Amino acid sequence: MHISRVQIRNFRNFKSIDVPMAKNSVLVGENRAGKSNFIHALRLVLDTSLPDRSRSLKISDFWDGIAGPFAEGGNSIEIDVDFVGFEANPATHALLADFRVADDHTVARISYRFRPDCEGEPSSEADFDYIIFGGGDETRSVPSKTRKRLVLDVLHALRDAESDLANWRKSPLRPLVEDAFSRIPDSDLVSVSSAIEGAGDALLQLGEITTLEATLRGKLLAIGGPRNDIDAKFGILSTDPSRLANILKLFIDGGSREIGDASLGSANLALLTLQLAEYEWKRAQNEQDFTIIAIEEPEAHLHPQLQRKVFSTLFQENLEAPQSLIVTTHSPNIASVTPFNQIILLRNYGDKGAAAYSLANLSLADDKKDDLQGYLTTTRAEILFSNGVIFVEGPSEEAIVPAFSATLGHDLDALGITVCSVDGVDFGPYLKLATMLGLPCSVITDWDPIAGGTPLGWARAKKLLLSKRDIQGAAAVTPAQLSRLDTEEDTLRAAARKYNIYLNSSTLEIELSQDPDLADVLLSILSEQTSFGPVLKSRIARYQADHAEIVPEKLMLMIGYVGKGRFARALAQRIGGIAPPEYIKLAIEHVVAKT
Amino acid sequence: MSSTRALKAAIGSLSQNPEQLLAVNVTDHCIVLAGPGSGKTKTLTTAMVRTLLEDVPEPRGVACITYNNECAFELEKRLSALGLERGTRAFIGTVHGFALSQIILPFARCVFPDWSSEISVISEADRKDVVAQAYASIGGAGDPQNRWKFAETKRKSEIDRSAPAWRDTNPELADFVEAYEGILKDRNQIDFDGMPLLAYEMVSRFPWISEALKAKYPVLFVDEYQDLGYALHELVLKLCFECGIRLFAVGDIDQSIYGFAGAEPSLLEGLSARADVQTIRLRFNYRCGTDIIDASMAALGAERGYVGPDNAGKGAIRFHQVNGDDNAQAKYVLESILPDLQSRGYQLGEIGVLYRWAKHSDNLVSIAETQGVPVVRADNKALIKRNSPVSRFVERCAQWVVGGWKTADPRFQRLCYDASSLVYGGTASDEEKRQIEHELITFLTPMDGAASTHSWLLDFKRDILSPWFARKRTISEHWDNVDEMIGRTDLAKKGSADLKMAQFCGDSSGTGAINLSTFHSSKGREFRAVILLGMNNDVIPNWRSKNDPNKMNAERREFYVAVTRAEQELHVVFQKGQHSVFVRELYNRTQQNK
Repeated sequence: MHISRVQIRNFRNFKSIDVPMAKNSVLVGENRAGKSNFIHALRLVLDTSLPDRSRSLKISDFWDGIAGPFAEGGNSIEIDVDFVGFEANPATHALLADFRVADDHTVARISYRFRPDCEGEPSSEADFDYIIFGGGDETRSVPSKTRKRLVLDVLHALRDAESDLANWRKSPLRPLVEDAFSRIPDSDLVSVSSAIEGAGDALLQLGEITTLEATLRGKLLAIGGPRNDIDAKFGILSTDPSRLANILKLFIDGGSREIGDASLGSANLALLTLQLAEYEWKRAQNEQDFTIIAIEEPEAHLHPQLQRKVFSTLFQENLEAPQSLIVTTHSPNIASVTPFNQIILLRNYGDKGAAAYSLANLSLADDKKDDLQGYLTTTRAEILFSNGVIFVEGPSEEAIVPAFSATLGHDLDALGITVCSVDGVDFGPYLKLATMLGLPCSVITDWDPIAGGTPLGWARAKKLLLSKRDIQGAAAVTPAQLSRLDTEEDTLRAAARKYNIYLNSSTLEIELSQDPDLADVLLSILSEQTSFGPVLKSRIARYQADHAEIVPEKLMLMIGYVGKGRFARALAQRIGGIAPPEYIKLAIEHVVAKT
Repeated sequence: MSSTRALKAAIGSLSQNPEQLLAVNVTDHCIVLAGPGSGKTKTLTTAMVRTLLEDVPEPRGVACITYNNECAFELEKRLSALGLERGTRAFIGTVHGFALSQIILPFARCVFPDWSSEISVISEADRKDVVAQAYASIGGAGDPQNRWKFAETKRKSEIDRSAPAWRDTNPELADFVEAYEGILKDRNQIDFDGMPLLAYEMVSRFPWISEALKAKYPVLFVDEYQDLGYALHELVLKLCFECGIRLFAVGDIDQSIYGFAGAEPSLLEGLSARADVQTIRLRFNYRCGTDIIDASMAALGAERGYVGPDNAGKGAIRFHQVNGDDNAQAKYVLESILPDLQSRGYQLGEIGVLYRWAKHSDNLVSIAETQGVPVVRADNKALIKRNSPVSRFVERCAQWVVGGWKTADPRFQRLCYDASSLVYGGTASDEEKRQIEHELITFLTPMDGAASTHSWLLDFKRDILSPWFARKRTISEHWDNVDEMIGRTDLAKKGSADLKMAQFCGDSSGTGAINLSTFHSSKGREFRAVILLGMNNDVIPNWRSKNDPNKMNAERREFYVAVTRAEQELHVVFQKGQHSVFVRELYNRTQQNK
């Protein structure tokens, strides 16, 4: 079972979001994007430890952009949480069977509403009340039993892990230890306890101790006089067999230090581990059937490698357990090891409210999934933290696009725009990803003419624009234009531009060599290659004398000798101030304009 | 007492009865065949609690289907004594309640796209109109109501509409039924017989519904299986033998007396013959004296081998021939048998007068009234319908007012729970529960036990029932029963004194009132002394049954049920020279035993 969808309307910075969810979710977003509000919305529906007082919201909890909670008979804050897969386990099935939604019996829903509950028009906070119900039907109240067995627990950011561990009453260790003790036969406990008592007595008999005791007693007696003597004595902590559990402590570093002395990071890690063990134990005790654990910003105090290790393990191991993790983070390290289907990106658009982009429903073939996952991991999920993307074929474009942007007056880093190389021409999955993340993007790709055939770029551009059209669902291209895509180059290029796919008429380097200034730069880099022999040198000189002499194949060959990537990096250093070719310019300007 | 301790005690008390003990511990499909007084309810409730504690962990539960609401009340009482409170993990209700609240209301909207949540139960009067309308629509000739009786039988007994038989035999009746159901659907209404049918249709067409039921209730208990009819039987076959819900059914073929309502004893027989079902027969009769047990088998016309426990008394059977009609017999009961019983220490509340039809008691009631003997009727002329949740709720509220508040019997929380079940059918929100609690406590205080019942009922309707009716979400309770109660307590119209609240809701003198009941309504009850009134040959068996062995057997079973209500004394009253043939058989057996 897991939460499959969360809908939130009019709550804090959410005007209206509808978020598909996977079994585990990682909520990524900048500060104030609404990560905590999202978790709080879930708590309003599910967390029985939330007191009624907190469940009854305030007028200030309404989304700011709303015309006013009192307008038109009153607005309401609405939160719907959908579950799927609950039939797989009889216990969760029993809990949720009656809360199926009318139009899909495989989905169960629990809802929260904060809305006017008064005669006539609402005029103050007191006129509002909340209800919780199931199946999308307000008359189906959800028994507290159901919510007590579907537990949502929040591990807050920057919690005081050390004191939580040190405080026996709060410690997640306590139920585990007490349970273990409850299974020890009484006779064993009694014999251990008498042994401890014996050892304690021996300790108290040692001369140093008795001397100290006598000294202290003397001082106490002197200061208060015999009438006020408090009769102080040394003893050891309780040896009562029934309370032995209380004297057990967890140590670290082979027993040399208490867990409370652990580093912040280790303490947090230990607390998280123990807490997960506690939930597992509670399920084994049949106190709960499903646990949703919301972990807020766990990156605090964990260094990057540990973040990656811990969460990649958690996300893998947790797949079978009847529990879901919902992690909020702004750590690229955690995001980069998150299976991409679990990523939910929150973005705040100010007046328009926040939006949520979930990759839960991003469907791709397995090999494309691996590609994309690999990309996220190696780039530390940079794309999740960007405001726009320019997709390019390879490292050459990746190197020169930022340089051209600078010439156009745009600092891509400052704008948060990523230039992403797909290492080839398979832009499809990346476009899907960017679209689902709500990122403005453009594609720069080559026309790639071939001798005696249709340029490779033709079919590629057509496929891309059609798939983008499917994702966006907007018909920017008319059916009449569609029918001419195969035959008319102009129509194809125009249509591609509409979907922000920008084509040149050959390949990158050839295209650059068409511009006299860029050709100069290009040839000067080649001319500086000390490894080139006299034949090449004289050819370069001939080209430099007259650009019309340039033979594209020969030029490409020489660039190949330098190495395309290395060549592009050198190029990027020197093209400052030179205007980019039109197609590159358009691609940059589009994304810049949208961010 | 905690459930675990109560269960231990209950199981311990079964140690002298190996069959009961076995039944309680069975973990496969199990059928318990249980004669009169055999402790079947105890077996059922103990098995239920054991199953909940040992076999079915939270949050899953068990469902128990009973013949009527009264049986459900009784079961709840017993379960509560075993530490299992209402509304926890056990559903207890009738077939109709189960079909409606566990299948139709939760799931119909998921499977029928045009389903409306505004559905209501059709009233009896409207139902007759619909029958007539349906009959006209298929161009039927003659009296539609008469013809409907046949159609109704087909509807109740041929549950699987996809079976060829539905259209192959009597297709015109199939048309009639379908036309009737079509009109009901257009009216957005449902009738009682339709509830289990619709539930069956849903369960058989959508396997996920069975799975949902299995998740909630992995074990299904059925009480009085023999009385429950074809629709439940088919439902049980689907849920238990196809989907894998475990069945624990209790019944007695010999006590099957609801043939007219579609019950059929052979269904239980067939079930107990299945190889995958363990059948356990209870031998002991803890209720009746041994002579009565023995004679009852003569009345049944079959030897069942029932015995009393070692410490059982013999009991007594007396035959009283009266020179005269119903009236004379009624007088005889009140003037001869009654004083005799009372002189031997029997209290009025321990005496049951049983008769075949409600009309047979009219004379007795009017004579008792003039003589000032308190009676309480449990037939369809009863002031408080034992089978109606609304009537019983009104009764309990009255009990609380006249003194229950002092002893917490009934508990106020119980009243609140009943009320929210009546109004919201178990879906009440906390806010709604609070409101009901507030309304009830406001109305019920001050606790004025001396009030006139009639005016109290009028107020109760105005302040409580009418507002609740207006906002209720349940669809199946008989809210108009209260009007009948109001009408019948209007004694000023008859010129008699007010009915006091204490009298209205039961025991006022401490000795109770004589229980009057038809044979049918006496099912499941027991009295120290039973008087069978009007056992003449023109009453039982009915002359129309005499040439039909099946009908004769059905009548025999009715007589058997009446006879086995007696614990210590059975008095059979009839007109001299007109005794029933069953009375003769009973008499002959008692003579042999002398």
